[in-house]
Amino acid sequence: MSIKDKVPVTILTGFLGSGKTTLLNRILSEEHGKRIAVIENEYGEVGIDQGLVINADEEVFEMSNGCICCTVRGDLIRVLGNLMKRRDKFDYVLVETTGLADPGPVAQTFFMDEEISSEFTLDGIVTLVDAAHIDQQLGRSDESSEQVAFADVLVLNKTDLVSDDALDTLESRLRDMNRMTRIIRAENAKVPIETVLNLSAFDLDQILKRRPTFLEPEYPFEWTGVYDLDAGKYELMLEEGPDPEMSLVALANQGESEEELKDGAESSVRLYAEKANSLVPGNTIPYGEHINLKLEDKGNKSFILNIEEPTKIGLFTQHTAEEFKMKVIKSDVNKEIPFNTERFWQAEHEHDDEVGSIAIERFGDVDPEKLNTWMGRLLSEKGVDIFRTKGFISYSGNPRRIVFQGVHMLFTAQPDKEWGNEPRRNQLVFIGRNLNEKEMQEGFDKCLI
Amino acid sequence: MPDIEPFSPRGMFHEGWTAEVSDYAIACGWALKGKQFIVGDVAGGLFSFEGDTGKIIWKKENTHSGGLLAMAIHPEGEIFATSGQDGNVQICNCHEGKVIKTLDLGKSWVEHLKWSNDGLFLAIASAKKVYVFNEIGEEKWISEDHPSTVSAITWSNKNELATACYGRVTFFDIVNNKTNQKLEWQGSLVSMELSPDGDIVACGSQDNSVHFWRRSTGMDAEMTGYPGKPSHLSFDDSGKLLATSGSERITVWSFIGNGPEGTMPGELCHHTEPISSLAFSNKGMLVASGSRDGSVVASFLKNDGNGDPVGAAFAGDLVGAISWRPDDCALAAVNAKGVVNVWKFKVRTNLFSKGFK
Repeated sequence: MSIKDKVPVTILTGFLGSGKTTLLNRILSEEHGKRIAVIENEYGEVGIDQGLVINADEEVFEMSNGCICCTVRGDLIRVLGNLMKRRDKFDYVLVETTGLADPGPVAQTFFMDEEISSEFTLDGIVTLVDAAHIDQQLGRSDESSEQVAFADVLVLNKTDLVSDDALDTLESRLRDMNRMTRIIRAENAKVPIETVLNLSAFDLDQILKRRPTFLEPEYPFEWTGVYDLDAGKYELMLEEGPDPEMSLVALANQGESEEELKDGAESSVRLYAEKANSLVPGNTIPYGEHINLKLEDKGNKSFILNIEEPTKIGLFTQHTAEEFKMKVIKSDVNKEIPFNTERFWQAEHEHDDEVGSIAIERFGDVDPEKLNTWMGRLLSEKGVDIFRTKGFISYSGNPRRIVFQGVHMLFTAQPDKEWGNEPRRNQLVFIGRNLNEKEMQEGFDKCLI
Repeated sequence: MPDIEPFSPRGMFHEGWTAEVSDYAIACGWALKGKQFIVGDVAGGLFSFEGDTGKIIWKKENTHSGGLLAMAIHPEGEIFATSGQDGNVQICNCHEGKVIKTLDLGKSWVEHLKWSNDGLFLAIASAKKVYVFNEIGEEKWISEDHPSTVSAITWSNKNELATACYGRVTFFDIVNNKTNQKLEWQGSLVSMELSPDGDIVACGSQDNSVHFWRRSTGMDAEMTGYPGKPSHLSFDDSGKLLATSGSERITVWSFIGNGPEGTMPGELCHHTEPISSLAFSNKGMLVASGSRDGSVVASFLKNDGNGDPVGAAFAGDLVGAISWRPDDCALAAVNAKGVVNVWKFKVRTNLFSKGFK
């Protein structure tokens, strides 16, 4: 059976009082031409007025092997198993979980149980968040952060009770925890139906269309300028800025295409990981090294760049050029040389929550065997802490990109569209608890050919 | 729709009759010693046919609002019980289909019904509770809440009922209201069968294994390696063989000698899609299997669990249930499209009987 013939299922999670039942009733009462079967775990305070509503007790079934990915929801298997026989009565399923539900077993049920996965497809996980209370809830319970981590869509509800500033702060906190989610603000659970149903959330193209930067990793630098320079002596001049010092990596032969910029960024990330050498004004800047410009002095500060033969120099700077009014000046003619290309990067910042996202993006092909070994080990060691995985991979020799998605240790990989002329690349996002970004990136790099 | 080509009955299967019910047929059984065949569909339609001809005797629609979940015909074949999503159980008369008694057990689905072998008791499972009523619908016993929804029930002897749920099998003496035995296993038990003498308990588990216990010795064993959860289990009438399936393949464990621990099971590979129903004949070592691909096969088994097909037929679509006629001379299959097929089951040559006429 192709994915198109399978019945899509949306999982609705969120703490008690976050507005799940209100949203559910809104979905059911709106004209959308779908016949929706609802599986309800919470005997809500508000009744649901619709034909096909099935109440079921939440039953989390762990297995003797202790493997958390084998943990499934027995109630869903039972109810969906029966619904399979009544496919003429509905074309969509909504599962409303209790406030304290762990979304893992719910999602896993659609991977683990062969009977269920042959008839149903998980369309997306929608988590409702009470804007006024989520800050406290996140501190207190694992369930609420897991519900945020699993979400394809986060509905930030009851925004009328919170100031705009507080909402912005909250949104960025939630975004840190789950970088691939879409955040929608709502009052009284009023959201357009198409933002919660038929998401094809496991369809990566859709996600990229909605949030093209969702896979962008965070870099230890904010800006890159590429300068086309002839042989000669140059000065890098900076004025006072927000910091008394700034890190920088200068790379020779830096290309200007997006792919070349990302390659440069990757090399710089590695260099940034090394200890910086401090330079004071008047010093010469070495290439391919992590350096730290000392900028305590007042007024203009210059550092020397020596160019032996014409080349393009890439400067990967901790802050933007703007912030320090940074200029490159050709010494003999005392003339400013503007950059040819600039690129801003998503800068690293502190993460307060244990739950977070890690993105890996690399050009090139991977060796399927090495990747399997690495993923297998990663998921068996860290599967408990990795909630979700999404992305695509370029296998050497395969004309199609391979799309991945996973819940904890469960994983599916399937061929997707052909690469055509597009440059081969790999993008993976992991959402989980206490993940070691550096280790995971290094692990992935070893799989590249 | 199944991918296999339709085919005419082969081997020991012969054309019998066909009929239709209104919706996806999920339950069926023979009543009045094979004179009548009753079919239940998922929407709550009940249909009774003449066993030999397929002529409709009576029918009823919408017997359970929300839909039918289970049906069980009394061993004497005069009455039967049905249950559904409405939380009700109906005890009905087979001759006209008239309701003798309706039992209202609350809001939860009533998913399992089993008559005791002597027909004195009807066991009913609904959510976490199990109820026992007598033939005329008088309540005899109610269990405490189980730790999770009861997934299977079966009678081990005339007063003893076995229940399976997440993590355990429990044996209740329902006459003296006591718990005789608890067998524990951390796993979601999705199916349960007992050997005819009640000693061997076999359960299919969500983690793709079959777990057994021998009640007399307390020994247990786990058979792993199934590609899917073994939802279908059937013992032969002697208790020597247990057929199990969690995929398109049937695995048969033999309890002869020291088995099945440490032995190789028999394997039957006759279907292209997973098994959707499995039943040993009432007597002997014949096992019939129906598949999601619409095929129905009968296999004759040897003591080691291996065997050969002796007949095959095509039911047209996913086989919802199969049932051997009490004399094993016919097999019925009902499918997801509501089609009923009854095939005669006999040796193809009948030369020897001619000589005596």
